[in-house]
Amino acid sequence: MQAGFLDLYNGVLNVRAERASLIAGNIANADTPGFKAQDIGFSDALSAELANPAAAAAPQFRADATVALNGNDVSLDSERIEAAENANQLSAAATFLHQSTADLITALRPNPSGN
Amino acid sequence: MADIYSIIGSALNAQNARMDVIAGNLANVDSVTQPGGTPYRAHEVVFEAGQDADGGDSGGVSVAGTVLSNAPPRKTYDPSSPFADGQGFVTGSNVSQPDQMVDLIDSANSYSASVAVLAQASRIDQQLISSIQVSS
Repeated sequence: MQAGFLDLYNGVLNVRAERASLIAGNIANADTPGFKAQDIGFSDALSAELANPAAAAAPQFRADATVALNGNDVSLDSERIEAAENANQLSAAATFLHQSTADLITALRPNPSGN
Repeated sequence: MADIYSIIGSALNAQNARMDVIAGNLANVDSVTQPGGTPYRAHEVVFEAGQDADGGDSGGVSVAGTVLSNAPPRKTYDPSSPFADGQGFVTGSNVSQPDQMVDLIDSANSYSASVAVLAQASRIDQQLISSIQVSS
C-alpha cells in the first residue's frame, strides 16, 4: 500500500514550518541595522525538500524590498501578510492531512461501522 | 534555524530592552547638571541578527549594545537657577521627547507584530496536534 500523500504532506508541512520560522526571524529583526529579509519560494523549496528531505532549502533575499537608511529592508506589513498567508496554507495542509489520515484509519479498521 | 518560539522570544526580549531604554530616556528628559558636569545623554539600543552556538544564523535577534546620542545638550536661559553657568544658562539632557515617543511607537508596533506571530504559531501548533489525534 502506497501512502504517497503522507510523504507529500510531510514535505509541505516542513516547508511551511521553515517559512514560518524565516518570517518570524524577519519580524524579530525589523529594527536590526543592515538586516535583509529572508524567505524561501514555496514550490522550489517543496521540490528540493521532496528530492532530498535532509537538506534545508537555502533562504533567499527579497528582490523588490525598499531598503531603509539603516540598511534594513524588512517591511512589517508585508511580513505579517506573508505570515498570515503561510499560516493559512499550513492550516489547510494540516486539515487535509487530518481528514486523509482519518479516512485511512477508517479504512484500516477491520469493522468500520463498529457492529 | 531555531524554532519559531525562541525567535519570537528573542524579539520580545529585544523590544523590551529597547522600551526600558526609552523609559530611562523619557525619565531623564528634564535632568539638569551643574556647570562643568556631564549632562545626561539619550541611550539607544542597537540590535543585531542573532547567532547560535556555532556562529550560524539563528533567525532571532539580540541586543548588540547601547550607544549614546551625540545631539547637543539643551541649554535653557534661567539665571536664577542654582545650576546656571556664568552666562545664566542651565545645561539639560539631550533627550528629544518627540523622538523618544516615535521610537516607543515603533517598538510597540514591532512588539505587537511578534505577539501576533506567536498567537498564530500556537494556533497552528494546536491544530497540528489535533490533526494527529486518532479519534476512537
